[in-house]
Amino acid sequence: MSAIEAVYIFDEHNNLLLSHTYTGRPSPPSVLLPLYLQHAAPRSSVLYFPSLNPSTVLYSIIQDNLLFFSPSSGTDSGEPLLVLEFLHRVADALEEFLGSPLLASKIAGNYDVVAQILAEIADAGVVCQGEANALRDVVETGPGVLNNLLGKVGLPGNASVPGLSGGGGSLGIGGSGGLQRPGSGISSLQPAQTAQGSAIPWRRSNVRHTSNELYVDIVETLSVTLAPSGRPLAAFAYGSIAFTSKVSGVPDLLLSLSTGGKGAGMGHRGDQLRSVMERTVFHPCVRLARWKSEGVLSFVPPDGRFALCGYEVDLLGADTPLTAGKNAYSSLGLPAGVEVTTGLGSSGNDFEVRLTQPSNSGAAGSAAAASLQSNLGGGGGLGSRPSSFRAGAAGSGDSKGPSLENLVVRVPLPTTVRNVTELRPSKGEAHWSPVDGCVEWKVAAKDFGPMGAVLRCTIQGPLAADGDDAGAVLNGLTATTYDYNDDEPSAYQAGEKDEKHSNGLSVPVSREAKVAKSRELMPTSATLSFGVKGWLASGLKVESLLLDNKKSRGLGQEVKPYKGVKYLTVSREGIEVRC
Amino acid sequence: MYRSEPSLTFFSAVVKNVASASLEVKKLVYIYLVHHAEAEPDLALLSINAIQKSLTDSNPQVRVMALRTMSGIRVPVISQIVSLAIKRGCGDMSPHVRKAAALAIPKCYRLDPNTLPQLTGYLSTLLGDSQYFVVGPAVAAFLDLCPDELDLIHKPYRSLVKKLADMDEWGQLATLRLLTFYARKCFPRRTQKVKPSAPVAFYDDEKNEQESQDTGEEYEVQVTDPDLELLLRACKPLLQSRNSAVIVSVVRCYLYLASPDYIAEAVGPLVALMRTPQDMQHIALFNIVAVAMRIPKPFAKYTAHFLVHANDPPHIWRLKLEVLTILFPHCGKHWKGVIISELEHFSKGTDPELVRESVRAIGRCAQGDTSTADMCLRILLGQISSLDGNLVSESLTVIRHLIQQDPTSHKSTVLQLVKNLGTTTHPDARATIIWLIGEFAGVEPENNIAPDVLRILIKGFADETEIVKQQIVLLGAKVYLHHLLQNPPKEKPEAPAPTETAEKPTKEYPNEWADNADEGQENADQSTKENEGELEQPEAKEEETEDRITLLWRYILLLARYDTSYDLRDRARLYKNLLETPSSVQLANLLLLAPKPVPHAPSPSETRKDLLIGSATLVVGPEAGYLGLPGYSNLPDWVVPGQEPNPSLRIDETKPDISSTTTTSTAGDRLDRALLNGYAESQSQQRLDRCRSRWKEDTGPVASGRRGRGGH
Repeated sequence: MSAIEAVYIFDEHNNLLLSHTYTGRPSPPSVLLPLYLQHAAPRSSVLYFPSLNPSTVLYSIIQDNLLFFSPSSGTDSGEPLLVLEFLHRVADALEEFLGSPLLASKIAGNYDVVAQILAEIADAGVVCQGEANALRDVVETGPGVLNNLLGKVGLPGNASVPGLSGGGGSLGIGGSGGLQRPGSGISSLQPAQTAQGSAIPWRRSNVRHTSNELYVDIVETLSVTLAPSGRPLAAFAYGSIAFTSKVSGVPDLLLSLSTGGKGAGMGHRGDQLRSVMERTVFHPCVRLARWKSEGVLSFVPPDGRFALCGYEVDLLGADTPLTAGKNAYSSLGLPAGVEVTTGLGSSGNDFEVRLTQPSNSGAAGSAAAASLQSNLGGGGGLGSRPSSFRAGAAGSGDSKGPSLENLVVRVPLPTTVRNVTELRPSKGEAHWSPVDGCVEWKVAAKDFGPMGAVLRCTIQGPLAADGDDAGAVLNGLTATTYDYNDDEPSAYQAGEKDEKHSNGLSVPVSREAKVAKSRELMPTSATLSFGVKGWLASGLKVESLLLDNKKSRGLGQEVKPYKGVKYLTVSREGIEVRC
Repeated sequence: MYRSEPSLTFFSAVVKNVASASLEVKKLVYIYLVHHAEAEPDLALLSINAIQKSLTDSNPQVRVMALRTMSGIRVPVISQIVSLAIKRGCGDMSPHVRKAAALAIPKCYRLDPNTLPQLTGYLSTLLGDSQYFVVGPAVAAFLDLCPDELDLIHKPYRSLVKKLADMDEWGQLATLRLLTFYARKCFPRRTQKVKPSAPVAFYDDEKNEQESQDTGEEYEVQVTDPDLELLLRACKPLLQSRNSAVIVSVVRCYLYLASPDYIAEAVGPLVALMRTPQDMQHIALFNIVAVAMRIPKPFAKYTAHFLVHANDPPHIWRLKLEVLTILFPHCGKHWKGVIISELEHFSKGTDPELVRESVRAIGRCAQGDTSTADMCLRILLGQISSLDGNLVSESLTVIRHLIQQDPTSHKSTVLQLVKNLGTTTHPDARATIIWLIGEFAGVEPENNIAPDVLRILIKGFADETEIVKQQIVLLGAKVYLHHLLQNPPKEKPEAPAPTETAEKPTKEYPNEWADNADEGQENADQSTKENEGELEQPEAKEEETEDRITLLWRYILLLARYDTSYDLRDRARLYKNLLETPSSVQLANLLLLAPKPVPHAPSPSETRKDLLIGSATLVVGPEAGYLGLPGYSNLPDWVVPGQEPNPSLRIDETKPDISSTTTTSTAGDRLDRALLNGYAESQSQQRLDRCRSRWKEDTGPVASGRRGRGGH
């Protein structure tokens, strides 16, 4: 049976941060690391080293720049996914206890906690407790744990202890450490007092909160592929519902979602919802039977933040419209689009990237936000999230209207491109980084008006071997056209017709050879990244979030938890345009 | 300790604290102890006593920790004590302690394999436990300890299946693994053609099956063994697990055990794994490829998920391309077009690897669905005029494969390729074209371009690369052979009389070979002139045409003879001798004009097709060696009907719904028994009483645990 043999964690400079051996005699990290680094840069998460004795399969993940290893020697441990899932859970658990993002210094400063987490999460290699929240019951996080032990051993706790604390007082053992221990402030109860362990495997017992709060964050990540014609080939939104529960006792919650009009005519509400949210996966707390019968999420949440549900939405709908044509962006409702034209200029080594803004996308978003307010208002105390909860949330667009931010276009260029001699963005900043060989163009959201924006680049190929045309170096004489699409209408929120810029650039002729030459230097795709707050590509909405007072325990009848909902759509290089 | 710095020196100082009352201190000491005990066995033994005391602590959590630590100390001397402690743990009130006992079993076995008989006994108790989170680790322990002792599983089989949905993910994984093996060994499979059109596999053991009442209508309904059906149905909710490993396990279970309807349901969740982080996505893709190779149909509607993104790393896009080509024949028309144009797009990219793979993928698409072969060929032909030599040569290789699959209809294609010969500079590409011409040299002997092409090629022979030269020599041999074959009626009567074709080689070649190099060169120059002179007059007479081919052939031999490459010289000599004597012409015919097998470009993962889904061997692939990674085992074959264990063994005597009171009383009995047997002599009556009082305390949490689940 599959057994986890050891966990090694390295920091961003590949220094060993931690090694915990569960069972057997796995190859030490000092042996594995060089072998791992021998493989070329995008490394597979499963590597096999037959040269070691015993031959070893190495599983690795990278999270927050930390490198997690788990070697498995000798045997086919059966399920590579099990090991990888386990490593992810370890990372999650460490994050839960040490705070996000996971930093090397945090791990180094809290070896006592980390040791307990690793010891509890698996016993002699058999994974036995994957729930970060339930681990709270068994892991001591009190400030004086290690001090206490050191005192008993006869070593001064706060002074530098060369061996045991592994590096001296700078690690901040005990109270002097600057690191706050999350959880100890929220919960008034020291976890380990609960001798019997939790009755619900994923929720720690005896949760107490002074202020009761519930937050639903729905985040959708876009993955859209557009053909050169602008027709969408595939468009998916990968959604996940992140739930934050800070409610005392054992609450029993009911979350209903609505599709915002999609999937109408598919029978009752549950069917509609299921037709939109496809291939769902749930946290084990969700009662699957109720989801199947009524299309609602009924669950007893773990304490704190967790991923309640994952789903995907096919934005194109079941039957792909073959004739969608160029108004793709509007049919998908994306807040921004990008187009690339290549082979411009006198010798064909210019290309132009055009950011456009279809105008009707905002409407749906603001409608969603508005209805959200009205819907949840009745449920009890909707308000905007306290801005301290998440730093980025302080900006606009929480519930008033969706706001676009972090607009970045990346154009990967072939490796043969030697230089990009000219970068002329009409707005924002663009630069070429030779290391990853791509042009990155950032446009500030406030600059990105209804007019769109254009970036024109001139690229330079390798020093030509035949020498006659001087490496296709372009003088700056290419006629640059800053085409603002003047016909693009109005503001983001205003819903009107979709624009289409029709001004085809006049392509110079009689330069076939050069064009053919520089065609190999032209980019073949461009990706667009952005984030939109307050809008979901799928149009899903939270209809209500109810706390069932009858089924819940440990919570007073009169307690009305504070509820908050947040929508976010992001594209992390998720919109890809072929050209 | 975690920084690999020496912390052993503190061993005795730290271990002294093992008796500390403080729980948190104890925890850390235990971790330290487990880590270092092996190096200091004697000192570690001193701590055993204190740990043993903790085993009877009133706090279950302390007992859990003590049990875990004790079994974790790797000092073989204590194996008997550990075994006793596990025995105690098995009868403990608190399910958490029982869980710890289950987890301790493999550790004890590793400590001392002689304890196996006792441990198996404990295991059978734990496998029948009523708490779902005890059973999971027990199954894991079973797989570790004695995976072949399936007799132990018969009895708890149904309860295991029932608990499957409630277990934690890790327990589910172990249980699914166990039950998949179990089902193969215990449920015989019988195939019977129910309807002539649809052969349906069904599972049936009618003689022994007491529950299966519906055997009467078996010609209509697919009858699965009810117990197997139970398992398959219990797996269904697991498809919505957030743990990717669980989903792959369910897919494995369905793929190897169930009818195609089940697997169709599991495909969606499997495809959903494409949302996971890249590391897991990679593994998931391996599994998707393996499943799709067996049953591609259900995947067809998810084609859009496998489009390659520009920022996919190589190991991801490689697999995605493979999935696309596997699905290609099963897609609708629209998607076929999309896939082809996607591949075309990537073949024009700049990453040479990606270009190569996508061109090959186009070839596989054409191979998979012959109706689109023309479209694929057109795309590939469009690419051979590209400036990118890499793309051209790869395209030509694929074109060659396509032409070979259907040679008769591709004559014009070859002609078109020949036109490109003038512009193509990439050696591989040229070699491929020349080879193809040679293959077509025998078609339509009156109107064949091969000799003409050969003539033109020979002019630039010296400037070609070696691989092209080889092909030119081969082409010459083929042309000459065809020439010989077409003219046997002429040659045969003339054979006795030393004239033309039969005579010339015998006469002239010895001369040539005997001559020194200078003369040979002169001869060559001469014949070049002659040759060109002759060829410049295309209106030559019929006999002269024949003559020309012979001359051409000799000229090639001459050129090759003085080439710098010994390989080329060898080849030339081989062909020369082969074609020299009329008696060996038949042999040459067999050698050179043998029908070539139709090339079949398999999917890159073809070799992994039979590997077990979800295993590490599947991911590592051929690198793992013929037998896979050590410890890899494929599923056992279906048991032969009649040899399966009696299904009545699986009948559960325990009541289906045990109320908390019966649980506690039976557990209490067990505790008493354990105490009497194992510890009676050493434990005082007072401690027994304490245990009893603790058991009363324990009733609470067990009951509340039930309630908590009950709302579910």
